[in-house]
Amino acid sequence: MALSRRSGRSRLTLILLVLTSVTVITLDFRGPGGVIGAVRSGAADVLSPVRGAADTVFGPVSDAFSGITGYGALEDENDVLWRRIEELEGDRLRAEDAEAELKALLRVNRLDRFTDLPSVSARVVGSPISNFEQTIQLDRGSDHGIGEDMPVVTGTGLIGRVVDVSGTRSIVRLITDPSSSVGVRLSRSGVLGVLEGVGPDRLLDLGLVDLETDVRERELLVTSGVDDSFFPGGIPVGRVRRATSTEGELQQDIAVAPVVDLGRLRFVKVIQTGSP
Amino acid sequence: MTLAARLPPLFVLAVMLHTAVLPQFRVAGVAPDLLLLLGIAAGIAAGPDRGAIVGFTAGLLADCFLQTPFGLSALTYSLVGYAVGMFQTTILHAALWIPVTTAVVASALGVVLFAVTGAVVGQAHLLSNRLVTVVLVVSLVNGLLFLFVARPVRWATTADLAPGLVLR
Repeated sequence: MALSRRSGRSRLTLILLVLTSVTVITLDFRGPGGVIGAVRSGAADVLSPVRGAADTVFGPVSDAFSGITGYGALEDENDVLWRRIEELEGDRLRAEDAEAELKALLRVNRLDRFTDLPSVSARVVGSPISNFEQTIQLDRGSDHGIGEDMPVVTGTGLIGRVVDVSGTRSIVRLITDPSSSVGVRLSRSGVLGVLEGVGPDRLLDLGLVDLETDVRERELLVTSGVDDSFFPGGIPVGRVRRATSTEGELQQDIAVAPVVDLGRLRFVKVIQTGSP
Repeated sequence: MTLAARLPPLFVLAVMLHTAVLPQFRVAGVAPDLLLLLGIAAGIAAGPDRGAIVGFTAGLLADCFLQTPFGLSALTYSLVGYAVGMFQTTILHAALWIPVTTAVVASALGVVLFAVTGAVVGQAHLLSNRLVTVVLVVSLVNGLLFLFVARPVRWATTADLAPGLVLR
């Protein structure tokens, strides 16, 4: 009898908790901000010093852990990087002249490049907490002029956009996140497409490029900068790794590697494309 | 020391470990889910009632740091905590491997339930090939972590229970 009463009470507790959860989920769907936004911002602000301290304390231990679990891959990566340094040195010399010409053209046409737009520098203080989201936390927030939907870049190219801001912290959704999509332009043909994330350590998926478009391996993709895009035009995003056309399909299957190594982010810039 | 005094420090410590320390130690890019494990351990130690309540609270705390709908983790973790509590009342706990295996299986189910429920409320990207890796790593590492988590959770959740109702 007593056991049955206990079981009934447990079921009632569960029903109440499930109803509460569903109510909270519904409230969250009604729109960003509000009480739930304030709770999230408050939690981020309260815990950010702890996360920062843990990053400092456990960072070297974490690096050693990664080194042990991926020693072979690190050696291969080192070889690749040395080869890339030599290639890039050649590219840099060739690009100097083109850079000067581009600057002159932009000046004449009174256009801005993303590197000339106002920006806030920030340090990456947190890796993703969830196993499903590709997000990072920055040590700057709305107090420093950062707002939602602002693009985030490194010196090399785009890494994502701000999706949540508190006073002193902001959360950036990386371009590899499965819910991320970026309007891009193929640098040679000028054809527009949509670049979508499919998760960590996987190539991005470029869609909406028809079968007639000539897409080359290593071709650069930059942000399209079309009117309703979150991103200004011309920010390098990725390079084509492979492009295949299948008969009967309406678009090519194009895999793209990000230009930025998203696993080693330390400092980034948030481009202030609008007021926070 | 009452339940109300014991649970808050446990949650604070768990949140700090879950958000600041454990994400730094990833296997195949996947971190263990300590807050899910909290609900599971509470279910094993103190039954379905407390499993659901601890799971719900731990889930709400997890939701504070995620971009998925607020309440999704709370819903999932409370269901898992309850189910584990119901399961543990029907079996004999003579050996250590039973609660450890329960923690492994419940963690796997918890991750799958989170992804499926997320997909139902519009987060379709949670159901991807990566889910298999996440399920494997989270369940195995959570099984290992259970050995360290079981005792403090039992201490915090069974403060006012009669000795006969507590798993030793």
